[in-house]
Amino acid sequence: MSVTPFDEMLLPDGRPRDGHEGMHETLAELGSSGLAERARQRDAYLDRHGITFTLGERERPLPMDLVPRLLTPPEWKHIEAGVIQRLRALEAFLADVYGPGIALKDGLIPRRLVTTSTHFHRQAWGIETPNNVRIHVSGIDLIRDESGDFRVLEDNLRNPSGVSYVLENRRTLAHVLPEIFTHHRVRAVNEYPERLLDALKAAAPPDIKVPTVVVLTPGVHNSAHYEHAFLARHMGVELVEGRDLYCRDSTVWMRTTSGPEPVHVIYRRIDDDFLDPVHLLPDSVLGIPGVVNAARAGRVTIANAIGNGVADDKAVYPYVPAFIRYYLNEEPILPNVDTFDLSDADQREWVLGRLDRMVVKPSDASGGYGLMMGPWASDEQLALTKAAVLQNSRGWIAQPVVTFSTCPTVVKEGRIAPRHVDLRPFAVNDGTNVFVLPGGLSRVALPEGSLVVNSSQGGGSKDTWVIDDGTLDEAPPESASPEPAERSLSHAVAANFSKRYNSPTSHEDRMVQQQRQQQQQSGPSPARGTDEGEPPC
Amino acid sequence: MLSRIAESFFWLGRYVERAEATARLLSEHHQLLVEDRSVPEAMGCALLLDALTMPSAGVETAQDLVRVVVGSELDSSTISGAVSAARANARAVRDSLSQDTFEALNSAHLALSRGIAFTASPGVALHRVLERLLVVNGVVDWTMPRDEAYHFMVLGRELERIDMVGRLLAIRHDEMWPSSGPAAALRAAGALSPYLRTGRPLNAIDVRRFLVLDATFPRSMRSCAADAEEAVRGLQRQGVSDSGSLLREVGMLRSELEYARVPSPDDIEQFIDEARQASVRASDEVNRAFFRQHGTIVWSH
Repeated sequence: MSVTPFDEMLLPDGRPRDGHEGMHETLAELGSSGLAERARQRDAYLDRHGITFTLGERERPLPMDLVPRLLTPPEWKHIEAGVIQRLRALEAFLADVYGPGIALKDGLIPRRLVTTSTHFHRQAWGIETPNNVRIHVSGIDLIRDESGDFRVLEDNLRNPSGVSYVLENRRTLAHVLPEIFTHHRVRAVNEYPERLLDALKAAAPPDIKVPTVVVLTPGVHNSAHYEHAFLARHMGVELVEGRDLYCRDSTVWMRTTSGPEPVHVIYRRIDDDFLDPVHLLPDSVLGIPGVVNAARAGRVTIANAIGNGVADDKAVYPYVPAFIRYYLNEEPILPNVDTFDLSDADQREWVLGRLDRMVVKPSDASGGYGLMMGPWASDEQLALTKAAVLQNSRGWIAQPVVTFSTCPTVVKEGRIAPRHVDLRPFAVNDGTNVFVLPGGLSRVALPEGSLVVNSSQGGGSKDTWVIDDGTLDEAPPESASPEPAERSLSHAVAANFSKRYNSPTSHEDRMVQQQRQQQQQSGPSPARGTDEGEPPC
Repeated sequence: MLSRIAESFFWLGRYVERAEATARLLSEHHQLLVEDRSVPEAMGCALLLDALTMPSAGVETAQDLVRVVVGSELDSSTISGAVSAARANARAVRDSLSQDTFEALNSAHLALSRGIAFTASPGVALHRVLERLLVVNGVVDWTMPRDEAYHFMVLGRELERIDMVGRLLAIRHDEMWPSSGPAAALRAAGALSPYLRTGRPLNAIDVRRFLVLDATFPRSMRSCAADAEEAVRGLQRQGVSDSGSLLREVGMLRSELEYARVPSPDDIEQFIDEARQASVRASDEVNRAFFRQHGTIVWSH
């Protein structure tokens, strides 16, 4: 099983790849003592600026590696086109699922897969979005296989997070390691908040001339609160909590010192289930009672739309290439990782016959929960997994082990060693164009040979450069299909709920608890992907 | 109050502001040069140096730029020089300053003289200097009696601030770096978040209008003129007044900016120009009226 991973910077003979020479030279000049010194300055910078995520009770900085990851213009062009294409297909699929359901009638995907998805919300059926956008913001996770080809590992169409770290990483790196930029022209990332605000305004109900946009956060106890505040500040809009808003006559109002003010677009960073206690979880204290009705009445736009999770369900993922062919009549630009639907009897039988060579994961979870890596599993684990699959086959999918690429990374004492990386490009759909932020969040597994790269266990991120050679202009105009994503509630949260019923808590405690519980598939918890695919070389 | 003491307070206010505004501007400009390489590095350096009236010959890289603008104690238009001059003025009036003020200034001076600004990542070092200068303003704000000395210091600070905003705007970040320039200019004035809260787009003309005419942001030229006017009135209340031309100078500038029509791009440039000239005239008048009155005998070689 030992396959040599693709290295992002170095050729097999150790020389830098085309375009990486300048960076390589700068790193060599700095040497390990120089890098160690810069690493200390970086830590001080991140601490001082409070660029943190919250894990459990503690706030900590997201480790940013000093070695950037570089994408050449042709590589980026390919990724950008592939992401835009995938988004358009996923938008079409969501419009279909929450509308006429033609693809289901045509048998493109088994209806049972859609209706049994944890994140399929009947309540969203028939809600029309003003500019036909449901996936205002998306983060499609990519990996690079042994041959250097980019593949989609998963789609995040709910609350993809991590974009604030993309912007902060660039500023941080320019601050502490300015000379690394000397030989390169890197495409800027700082226009993201403006593009996002434009897209949110474009999604407002059509009769509103000057829409009021807000960012809805679960609150300061949420792990991604830093990002919520960052986006609100950089867009110049209010950061609100559920208790700041209320609905009356199908309109959403914000409580202000000058009285109620209408709200037209809610960029929400709380999960579907918590959004509206009237229609979804009745005991949510984070949501706004009645907001689903207001959205249905077309008086407010919820971004991303409710129920997007059905399209990033892992059991739906294998069908996305078929969506691209069906809705767009195009061949997929970015291939999937081979995935087996275990609710299909033939595939299940084939997979169970070679379980020790497969990765098996729950179809609706994130963060590496419940993941089973065949090659490293004990016989007992294999047997348990097999039993679980047989008991609830809809709940699991299987993939072959994928070796994904490495990138030189600063480890202890300024030494550089290869570590596995993935890539989450962020895309914003304003209904007319899909803007893919040049680069995205590269997440890196810092411990050598580690399979689990959640930030709690040593995951980090890298500044990601798209080289500007002057040939990449605006993204080609596309119609309405960007993809937002993120998952949130999963098993872990459901477990917390039952716990909470047993031990009644105060309203404040519940609020703190629910704020934390929003998982926000965040940038700071790098590479679920990494867990799945990475053999310890 | 002794003219000498008054003069020290006035220049203390000016130099602290100069050092702070220059450090902020250098830090942002440097970051822009590093991140956005669409403007050749040497040209980007020259833009800042021209605005600061410093020679740009031989300055090729962002690193050179930091070296020159951090500068030396001998040149008071550099950061080191301004801090050093501020400290010299603070020493002269040390008895009337709170201990905290002098300590903060002294530690900024010591840090610079030890060469911290020349470490490899200038942003980190500049931030340390900025932090200490912020302490000076903070301590002054809550410990200094609103007496004559205070009003002289504020007057110096506000006149310098008008000048520094003028220099910042003279760089034309918006024209040279159309995508990242307007935000960089705002950051250099500490104005990015306040600006975004107004809901205005990040375009060149709105950013310039904001930095010149905004009524609530304390570093807009208009707010500076209003604060300068208030300082002059404060002096008058203490019985310290010139012939009236100082109040006329700052008052007219304030009213011109306060009652301006929404200006065209050309008008804005004219306002910037007038404000800088008014600041120079006001400074001359302060000097003439309070520090170097007609008839003062000066020995010269």
